[in-house]
Amino acid sequence: MTRFIAGRLISALPVLFVVSLVSFLLIAVVPGDVTAEIAGADSTEAQRQLIREQLGLDRPLPEQAVRWYANLLQGDLGQSYLLNRPVTEAVFERLPVTLSLAGIALVLAVAIGMLLGILAAVRHNSWVDQGSMSVALLGLSVPDFWLGLIFITVFAVGLGWFPTGGYVPIAESFTGWVVSMTLPALALAFTQVGVVARMTRSSMLDVLGQDFIRTARAKGMRGYTVILKHALLNAMVPVVTVVGVMTGVLLGGAVVIESVFSLPGVGRLIIGAIQRRDYPIIQGGLLITAAIFVFVNILVDLAYGWLDPRVRHGR
Amino acid sequence: MAKKWKFGTTARHIGASLLLASVALGAPYASAQTRGGSITVAQSSNPPSLDAMVTSSQASRNITMNIYETLYGFDDKIQPAPILAESVEVSADGLSYAFKLRQGVKFHNGKEMTSADVKASLDRYKKVGATQTMLEPVTEIEATGPYEVTLKLKSKAPTFLEAFASPRAPAVIIPAEEASKPANEISFIGTGPFKFVEYVPDSHVKLERFEDYSANEAFQSMDGFGGKKTAYLDTVTFRVIPEPGAAVAALESGEVQLLEQIPVPTARRLSSNDDIKIYENMPWAVLTFIFNMKEAPGNNLKFREAVQAALNNEEVMAIATEGLFQLYHGWMYEGSTYDAGDVGAQSYNVADPEKAKALLKEANYNNEPFSILTDSTIPEHGKAAVVIAEQLKAVGINAVINQTDWPTALKIRLQDTGWNGWTLMMGIEPYLGPAALVSTLTGAAPHFRANDPELDKLYQELISTDSVEGRKAVFAKIQERLYQFVGIIKLGETGLMQASRANVQGFKPFRFPRMYDVWLEGQ
Repeated sequence: MTRFIAGRLISALPVLFVVSLVSFLLIAVVPGDVTAEIAGADSTEAQRQLIREQLGLDRPLPEQAVRWYANLLQGDLGQSYLLNRPVTEAVFERLPVTLSLAGIALVLAVAIGMLLGILAAVRHNSWVDQGSMSVALLGLSVPDFWLGLIFITVFAVGLGWFPTGGYVPIAESFTGWVVSMTLPALALAFTQVGVVARMTRSSMLDVLGQDFIRTARAKGMRGYTVILKHALLNAMVPVVTVVGVMTGVLLGGAVVIESVFSLPGVGRLIIGAIQRRDYPIIQGGLLITAAIFVFVNILVDLAYGWLDPRVRHGR
Repeated sequence: MAKKWKFGTTARHIGASLLLASVALGAPYASAQTRGGSITVAQSSNPPSLDAMVTSSQASRNITMNIYETLYGFDDKIQPAPILAESVEVSADGLSYAFKLRQGVKFHNGKEMTSADVKASLDRYKKVGATQTMLEPVTEIEATGPYEVTLKLKSKAPTFLEAFASPRAPAVIIPAEEASKPANEISFIGTGPFKFVEYVPDSHVKLERFEDYSANEAFQSMDGFGGKKTAYLDTVTFRVIPEPGAAVAALESGEVQLLEQIPVPTARRLSSNDDIKIYENMPWAVLTFIFNMKEAPGNNLKFREAVQAALNNEEVMAIATEGLFQLYHGWMYEGSTYDAGDVGAQSYNVADPEKAKALLKEANYNNEPFSILTDSTIPEHGKAAVVIAEQLKAVGINAVINQTDWPTALKIRLQDTGWNGWTLMMGIEPYLGPAALVSTLTGAAPHFRANDPELDKLYQELISTDSVEGRKAVFAKIQERLYQFVGIIKLGETGLMQASRANVQGFKPFRFPRMYDVWLEGQ
């Protein structure tokens, strides 16, 4: 098992290296100039050159890259040009917001999606099946930012049940945190509900048609035991795969949802940095987000092992 | 040129009825002011810094001008008026400015403000201030008494006080021990009516009433950036809500009491809502079109004249501002001190395609591409560029649009090549007066890249003329020159729609949301 985990971790390193390299090089080809942002639109070339020298942006690109990687190996992602603070500090401060959002959305998407998928599979070709799949299709078709705005209009402005936006840290108030996260997480989750529901349904239908299910039923096992214990567990592997991919989609979607609900998350930090060409934040933010994605997918790999002993034992 | 109001009549009626209401209520209106309560203000972006000296960003100014104060600042008539100073004595040779400070003014840390703090703050501004040219004429800053600071100038600079009072990146006074710290590393301590509590980036900035605030009793009420300020509210929270729809929703649900900016169509929709008040902050900014005078075809005066003749400013402004605009040819706002009257009016909003075509012929224009640089970050820029391009195509100019994001556009237009025209909204410069406006068009980095020697000369004359009357005359010549050599075209003026809940009282639209002298009804 340890070797299995170690292998997965080592295989993640090249992925992270490529991400860091691409994010570094993207910046070299993206037009725009952070020095104009710092010195102002009516600054002179001499003023901007001075800032360029102070930031080391006048050095050749390979030299900048070497310096960046040397610092990275020491866990230092550099200093933000415009926030006047270390990148790691700025990103980690906002990580709880984005992780709460994506995490809750993930749980909601999986819970609702699986429920719909199971119902649809068990009541195959009935109105329940068609109803569930319609909901799933709606989720796939509706953009999350639009749904977010509709949620705000209905549940925050109309009914007044939730705030229109803003973030309450969990340390400050648990209920406040739940209330502030409900609408954004639902809006983000809804688009993914469809993916999980459809995957669960088709995978359940496969399993339900197999001999061991008929055997289980034939020996008089209760219906829900058959479905939840024998069928579902076997139908889980493809669903878990989807969860791994979904993490990336949710982290990406969080960027938009954070803006709609005014949540101070990593997504908005990176967007703000892109708009103002704060390169270290863009690089560091991308790298940390990619690391999270890779880590979740390692967890998914481990989950395969738990769900399917054949994977664990390398058979 | 006649002034045209294009905004819907409903909103104008509201504005008028608000005005009437405040007049009609008179005395009871004043006595109804109540202490207490909290307000949340929403704005669309983060303040890049709360160190007021180092940034000229509006998002910062909205907040910092409630926390800090300057020695001098603009009053309602855009004239320099004392705020933390009591008065200023200018020596006969114009080389020495002795500022007498108000006594007993407390900082938010409880310490009294003295000349040592003022000297330290101004010394710091010389190092980190975002508009350092403001103190460029100053050679020496001296504490000439416990409550007196004297600035020595290297040469006479009659517009010095105007520049010094500028709120662009204000020369605020902070405690001496903070002033020794580098940019962005200070604790946010000022002398203003509200003191800083906390800042959570991308979320909010919270302020609370400063109980020991020393109001300026030399005034009856607030006046521009200064005057007698009274804080009624317990706390003011500036929330950062980037999505306009979400900001409006927060106002409608009552979570937010004041929106610093609201989309024009939404303002129209909300004007029938009794729970919401709409404010029209006009004029707020000037939309301009700038030529690159270093590259063909913009280096040809006849060509530039052709563009000026082709433009239908009304059409450009109507689309760019969603209807919230007024047309005025003057580079200073109508009725302001330096308004130059009719000068240039005949060349503004000409919209004469035939004249434009004739000028193009004179210019020997050969269908060279005319690349209009614009950005999507500020919607007015992009929309104006589209309309301008269509109007120019109609007279036979090969206009193409190069739309990027703001940092890219900024970088491209700082070069001598790669662009021919550029759309720019000037926010604070036209408000600050002639020197601030013209300084962006002269010197080492003029907006249109090449210097116009005549304009440079007039600028020097402007800043060395003693009297306001004299400067008015010089500015009229500048306005004439701007219409003659056509390096920059004024398209029109646009406003800012703001909104509050109906129970917010005393709010008067200004260059930043003044949260003092604002109170909540029924508090």
